[in-house]
Amino acid sequence: MSAITERREDPALRGDTLTRRRAPFAVRARKQLIHIPLIVIGALTLFPFLAMVMISLHPGIPVQVPEIFFNTDISLEAYRQALRSSEIPRWALNTTIYAVVSVVLVLLFASMAGYAFAKKKFLGREVIFWVFIAMLMIPYQLTIIPQYLLVGQIGGLDTMWGLILPTIANAQAMFLMRQFMQDIPDELIDAAKIDGAGELRVYWSIILPQTKPILATLGTFVFLWHWNDFLWPLVAQQSPENYVLTVGLNGLQAQNVSLATLMASAVVMFIPALLVFIFLQRYFVRGVMMSGIK
Amino acid sequence: MSTSVAPAPPDAAGGAGGPGDGGVAADGTGRPPVVGRTVTWKELATSRGALVAYAFIFPYVAFFLAFRILPALYGVLLSFGDVSLAGRFRFVGLENFARLVQDDVFWHSLRVTTIYALLAIPLAVVLSLLMAQLCNRAMRGMSFYRSLFFLPVVTSPVISGIIFVWMFSGGGPLDELLGSVGLELGNWLQNEFLVLPALALVAAWSSFGYNMLILLAGMLAIPPDYYEAAELDGASPWERFRYVTLPLLKPALFFVLVLETVKSFQAFDTIYVMTGGGPARGSYTLTFMIFDQGFGYFEFGYASAVGVVLLVITLILSLIQRRLMGRSES
Repeated sequence: MSAITERREDPALRGDTLTRRRAPFAVRARKQLIHIPLIVIGALTLFPFLAMVMISLHPGIPVQVPEIFFNTDISLEAYRQALRSSEIPRWALNTTIYAVVSVVLVLLFASMAGYAFAKKKFLGREVIFWVFIAMLMIPYQLTIIPQYLLVGQIGGLDTMWGLILPTIANAQAMFLMRQFMQDIPDELIDAAKIDGAGELRVYWSIILPQTKPILATLGTFVFLWHWNDFLWPLVAQQSPENYVLTVGLNGLQAQNVSLATLMASAVVMFIPALLVFIFLQRYFVRGVMMSGIK
Repeated sequence: MSTSVAPAPPDAAGGAGGPGDGGVAADGTGRPPVVGRTVTWKELATSRGALVAYAFIFPYVAFFLAFRILPALYGVLLSFGDVSLAGRFRFVGLENFARLVQDDVFWHSLRVTTIYALLAIPLAVVLSLLMAQLCNRAMRGMSFYRSLFFLPVVTSPVISGIIFVWMFSGGGPLDELLGSVGLELGNWLQNEFLVLPALALVAAWSSFGYNMLILLAGMLAIPPDYYEAAELDGASPWERFRYVTLPLLKPALFFVLVLETVKSFQAFDTIYVMTGGGPARGSYTLTFMIFDQGFGYFEFGYASAVGVVLLVITLILSLIQRRLMGRSES
């Protein structure tokens, strides 16, 4: 794990310019040429987002590219329409509950289990652990029908708790917690115990604070995964007032609302994910890097 | 979880010492273990440390049993049975599979899934590799570009689906652009031959920022000396990429390949939003068939049989990939 952190400090990753001797102008100018493909691809990546925003700001007129990008006659009517005619606020609330409660529970249970798997010895540790890994091979689509039937059996369909419960046992989260906790020195735990700390206190006041970076990384990922989750809410939630944003937005598309209103709804739904991404970006980078390097 | 972006487990085997390897105070008593004494099974299961550990893993294991393992077993069982809408299970043996073999829709969806995977996997992997190579340099503004490329990764498939429905529509930007060079393709999503390439493009757009970061991490781990040595030997940039970067990048590349394989065989969200399996079942993939049979026709047993086929395909593919990877390493 420490090796990963060091690699992350590589200047190329932070995008800094290396200190070096000043190269001749021609060489420096040639180096700048690399911006051209980057800008082109950046523009292609961004185009769908920009189009979404521009269409949402120009309701009632036929969409024409590229004219729509230069039309300064903007109107928020589509947003008013979107918020008035649908249950977007309600869906946003549901989605927030789904994401936030899940993040808290996943982090709590995964860190508890990760701690035990990393730092404690008990009969069956290896077996249980390998069963978890093997389960990652099972396609989610195979389990969605049984999951639907099981949640139906306990009366959880079309409820918030029934939506949240099946998503709590996140195997990846537990693996990462365990991996990270193995690097916490045992001496730290021993010292706390000598000072008279109980098991819960060691976990809560010694282990958890040490794992803050990984908790933030995981929390960000789990939040976005739930915010964008579609298939499970689609089958589990039947009445429109229990929809989450993804399911509601998909429903709007089927309902033949105007393109501008549809795009305005999409923008509203995208903003929280965008904010999370902008402010917690470094955790994403760290999370992806950790998943790639062994 | 299907296409989650949550980090996958880094080498899960990573140093979990078996019971009995002498970590200090791992029994939770604060005492170093007595050297040379074997810990019995019973002690391992009933010592105070072990009991505390069981308490700590209990909530997680309970949820995992109830909502991961149980549904997986039930799913396999369902494929050998039939469930009425009232929830009664009836064992039917191999009937579902016999029906599957004779079902044209199944073979069609298997073909659609294969074609989609053959389009989507190379597209995503090559694009990510090119982008990683392009971004693997120290310069001002690079972190900005990388953030930009990551934006589609955090975008909900429903949102990107809605935007791309417009992008691919007749009279949409792509149609206009191709029309201006004399290529009249109309609505891609209404065209049996263009619908899968269109979906593969959306998948590549959504995932290249993520894969690129993984490959970039792999590239940064390659010692710069190798490149310097190659340069001294007169290797061209292409040769440096081909003979230094590619071989050393293999683990990261393999990881991306596996990730994209799983993703393309399980693609659902964008397909559901963008095409609904159409036109004329042109994008009716295996996962779409599971959904359609299960929640469209409430044929839970039949849908689960398709799920088992998907499981078998996933297992075979991962075995093949592991084989290939192992062979090229030795």
